[in-house]
Amino acid sequence: MVITEKERVRRLVSLPEAKPGWIRRLRQSRVAIVGIGGLGNASALYLAAQGVGHLTLIDPDEVEPHNLGRQILFGPPDVGRPKVEAACRTLRFIAPDISLAAEAAALTDEKQETLLAGHDVIVDGLDNWEARLILNRFSVHHRVPVVFAGAIGYEAQVYVVNGGKPCMQCLFGDDGFVEQSCALLGVLGPVAGMAGTVQAQEVLKLLLNTGDGLQGRIWTYDAFRNVSRVVGFTPRAQCPVCGGKEHEYGR
Amino acid sequence: MRLIINGEPRVLPGTGNVKDMLDRLGVDHQTVAVMVNGEIVVRTNFETHPVRDNDTVEIVRFVGGG
Repeated sequence: MVITEKERVRRLVSLPEAKPGWIRRLRQSRVAIVGIGGLGNASALYLAAQGVGHLTLIDPDEVEPHNLGRQILFGPPDVGRPKVEAACRTLRFIAPDISLAAEAAALTDEKQETLLAGHDVIVDGLDNWEARLILNRFSVHHRVPVVFAGAIGYEAQVYVVNGGKPCMQCLFGDDGFVEQSCALLGVLGPVAGMAGTVQAQEVLKLLLNTGDGLQGRIWTYDAFRNVSRVVGFTPRAQCPVCGGKEHEYGR
Repeated sequence: MRLIINGEPRVLPGTGNVKDMLDRLGVDHQTVAVMVNGEIVVRTNFETHPVRDNDTVEIVRFVGGG
């Protein structure tokens, strides 16, 4: 059965804020998802379903059995296959007309231009501080929005660096963090999915220019205590990436 | 000393600076960002940045997993 794009997004364009250009805007949009773990699986699923025209999926890893509890694009036959390929297969099933690029590579300083250039929004599905530094710099230097997130244990967070200040290093500093991995600390599957889903929501709001964004604000969720907060943050003095308070970006 | 920490009123005795406050709360310095009255305090300044009566403090843990 052929489903037209119009039918796919009928409930989206029923929103009171919807504008006539929304469907075309989504269809023409290019989003890169860096890291196809718990975060990237959930965001890719919703972005594809909602009618985003192109997704670039970036991840060097293969599907492992312990991924299946939260990485919902994958099933048992995918174990051992590259994550980006397995993800593309499910996404094509969900949205047959979508354009997909699979990059089985890690984000490094050397490869950032090749992997990230030409996207309207970038989604952080990473699991470490060092690679997030690359995304943060790319956002500020190329003025591309990055929707950051993290999930571990029962906790999730999402925040946006909108191609300027304040940036990730304004909030979290320059010194790095002790690596926290889901392998060591565990993670409740839906908590990672929720963070990825909130990322997809913020990507769509950025693309459609609607609603209040998470630029300079961080959404945090503690599922153990069932507490959710949004905390604002401002440019930090002498931030080495965005310049912080000291001077306007770009001067 | 009365503080508003993550939106909740708290009473913490003997809290002169951010480091003391985190120690009182049992929060690991290495995993959090701290804002005092909306201003970000970098980790290297935790020991020198003062915390005063009625300050509003936000403590945000860096959540790194993905």
